[in-house]
Amino acid sequence: MASRKKVLLKVIILGDSGVGKTSLMNQYVAKKFSNQYKATIGADFLTKEVMVDDRLVTMQIWDTAGQERFQSLGVAFYRGADGCVLVFDVTMPNTFRSLDSWRDEFLIQASPRDPENFPFVVIGNKIDLENRAVSARRAQGWCHSKGDIPYFETSAKEAINVEQAFQAVAKNAMAQESDVELCSDFPDPIKLKDDQSKPKEGCAC
Amino acid sequence: MASQNEVLFAKDSVYIHINVQDTKDKDAHIAGRVFLLHKAEGNFIEWKAEEFLNLESQNEEWDVIGNVGYRNEGSECVSMNAKMDSRRKYNISFDVLDLKSFKRSAPNHGWAYIIFILKDGTTFPALHFHNGGSKALLKELENFITIRRSPNDQRLFLVQDDDPEMLSKSFNELSLFSDSSGAYVQKFVRDPNKGMHKKFMKDPYTTTMGGFSKVTNFLRDVLMTPDNNNLVRPQSEVAELLHDDIPGMEISHMDEPGFEMVTKTKLPPRPEVKRSDPLTAQRWNSFFDAEGCIQQVVELKDIIFRGGVDPSIRSDVWKFLLGYYDWDSTAKKRADHRKRKVDDYFRMKLQWKTVSSEQERRFTLLKERRGLIDKDVTRTDRTHKFFTGDKNSNLQVLYDILMTYCMYNFDLGYVQGMSDILSPILVVMENEVDAFWCFAGAMERVCHNFEMDQNGMKVQLSQIHKLMQVYDPELCAYLESRESGNFYFCFRWILIHFKREFHFHEIQRLWEVLWTDRPCNNFHLVISLAILDNEKSTLMENKFGFTEILKHINDISLSIPLEDTLRKAEGIFLQLKEYKKLPKVVKEILGLLPVPTSLSMENSMTSSSLQDLKSEANSKVDTPQLMAGGASSGTGVHVNGSRSHALGNKQSSVVMDDGSKILT
Repeated sequence: MASRKKVLLKVIILGDSGVGKTSLMNQYVAKKFSNQYKATIGADFLTKEVMVDDRLVTMQIWDTAGQERFQSLGVAFYRGADGCVLVFDVTMPNTFRSLDSWRDEFLIQASPRDPENFPFVVIGNKIDLENRAVSARRAQGWCHSKGDIPYFETSAKEAINVEQAFQAVAKNAMAQESDVELCSDFPDPIKLKDDQSKPKEGCAC
Repeated sequence: MASQNEVLFAKDSVYIHINVQDTKDKDAHIAGRVFLLHKAEGNFIEWKAEEFLNLESQNEEWDVIGNVGYRNEGSECVSMNAKMDSRRKYNISFDVLDLKSFKRSAPNHGWAYIIFILKDGTTFPALHFHNGGSKALLKELENFITIRRSPNDQRLFLVQDDDPEMLSKSFNELSLFSDSSGAYVQKFVRDPNKGMHKKFMKDPYTTTMGGFSKVTNFLRDVLMTPDNNNLVRPQSEVAELLHDDIPGMEISHMDEPGFEMVTKTKLPPRPEVKRSDPLTAQRWNSFFDAEGCIQQVVELKDIIFRGGVDPSIRSDVWKFLLGYYDWDSTAKKRADHRKRKVDDYFRMKLQWKTVSSEQERRFTLLKERRGLIDKDVTRTDRTHKFFTGDKNSNLQVLYDILMTYCMYNFDLGYVQGMSDILSPILVVMENEVDAFWCFAGAMERVCHNFEMDQNGMKVQLSQIHKLMQVYDPELCAYLESRESGNFYFCFRWILIHFKREFHFHEIQRLWEVLWTDRPCNNFHLVISLAILDNEKSTLMENKFGFTEILKHINDISLSIPLEDTLRKAEGIFLQLKEYKKLPKVVKEILGLLPVPTSLSMENSMTSSSLQDLKSEANSKVDTPQLMAGGASSGTGVHVNGSRSHALGNKQSSVVMDDGSKILT
């Protein structure tokens, strides 16, 4: 039943300024790289149609400004996100350390139904550079501690692993999506009954 | 007990638009489901938010309210349990027999909505049917009550009552405040001595509190009600309240598309506006007297506004426009002034240059800023010939100026977008020190855009909304209905004054026009109207939604015709200016109010017939301006009437720059 619906997945890319969010998006969607992307101001998105488990899915990938103070207006775009890509720069440890707050902020602002299992993917970008400062092990450790978030090391410049990372977030988002659909397929009266009797608890999903 | 309920009707995707745009606002629209239920007690209409059960998000919403100037000390209207209130207000449940009337959305204005109003005055937030179903619900409803349409208001529907006299009486009370929150309507209706209208005027804060998200509707009702003669406060003061005191709310009154009073706007026809050729070198030189002092500044600015400046004299003219040089300075004064400014610059440059790496390890803030600037310098206008190439030394100059600005305005620091502001200035100045001081002058005009709380941006986006409400209510309502009433899609336009929307040479032209502060300080907002006016049919006929609008606006970058847009914008300004019923808030935005303080003196005078008055005003303007803008983070949002003085120091001098090019 669900498979007949047109599926739109909204994916947000978050991470500190200059880690390569715009580059990753453009590499994934348009298969191109430029040294000359400007700092993102406001928000923008690109869409890409992909196959996920034999289903045609439209991915709407949102790119936002990385500087902290712009988040206050940018959070409007977190709304309704189906997946989130957290990006850091493997040559900049501080961008790795920021992942915690990016993840937390996202969960607070987007308030997904099931924060524990929300489809995140972590990307350590710029592995083409030589001065790596965050080891894969350290990054994996963090991902593991946050509920086994899939971790990918990429180079947007060299188009390494970018496809795989986005494919993973799409796949996981789809998995969540079908859970949700299952949930909302409960007949109305049943859900209503639950809501009414326990108004202060989380919904059945 | 609940299990005995029989669902007669249910519809998903029914939203309440809360629209309080704030950092903590996770959701401008609350998704929910509307029901018509048969219960043991009777037949009920209910609406439940999906998020209702999420305690955490409710707390956030409460925080939002706290941020917008909510005073709870001694306010009688503040409920004992505010959280409960804020939670409760989003859930709707009422017996259909309590229903008094309801308002429907105007047709063809986006999502259909219904506002239910109960007999006790309770008025629920509009329920927006994103996925249809409003008609079906009303049809079901008709099984229990008799409904008739108001003869005076196409959108209003009345429930027939047994006692028609009572009905009309109570309706009269209600109709004034049709969109306001039931909670406090009830409260005030119970207090026969005051009446809520007066009450509000006397104690707007208290009243505001009770209404939370509905307050702006209420304010708007009050503001837009043409014939309320018995105001305790003059209407203007209320306008100011809305405008100034609760900025967090400002951006929020964008729900309920198609607000009635506004849709009646009929502006005078747009006058034909002519633009001219740029100011030439010859003409420019003719403005100087023997001592190198500019005569007839007003006329000069008028010329620049009308046609810009020839590129050959840009670096000279911009120094005046950006307040590096005083308009009334002699050549000698400018020479002295410049000398001092050179020293001043290098003093500040030395401050960050001499921070050792060991020091910096314990100076995280500086290190972070260095990192940000590093990243942005390498990606600022790299396709412009001035910045192309891997080892371009101009990148270093860009970097040095931005770092020095950090020391000059450490409170503000470096924020993304600043490199966009600097780049065209550096290209014109071709001199590090001059570029720095001109950049600092330009930043004075826009620094509030970059502040941490983003309030300057929020204020301006809401000002565009206010302008649009008057200029084109139809487009405004459309945007509101598409979750775009916050005008966030104009964010980039406003943050860096269209830097990314026009080609490099065009942005230089646009900025020099804006820097004349003609026809008002907020002309950039009117330019936004003009661009949106161009895009109106595209947005509406394609039925673009939130994402498509943003995308479309992002994508028209570099394809906006500058001169046409400037002509249209000035025309729109003149139309609004001539409009007899222009709300005070809008007049204020456009600098059309008689000036109460010396600060805005220059703003309101644009015609050349006021020249004399103006030069008088200029001298008055100096002092406060110097205070606000002189040194560090001037915070005044748009008081830039005479920006030219912002950087201060009347002693200025020497004409045109000698050749001390520091570019390496």
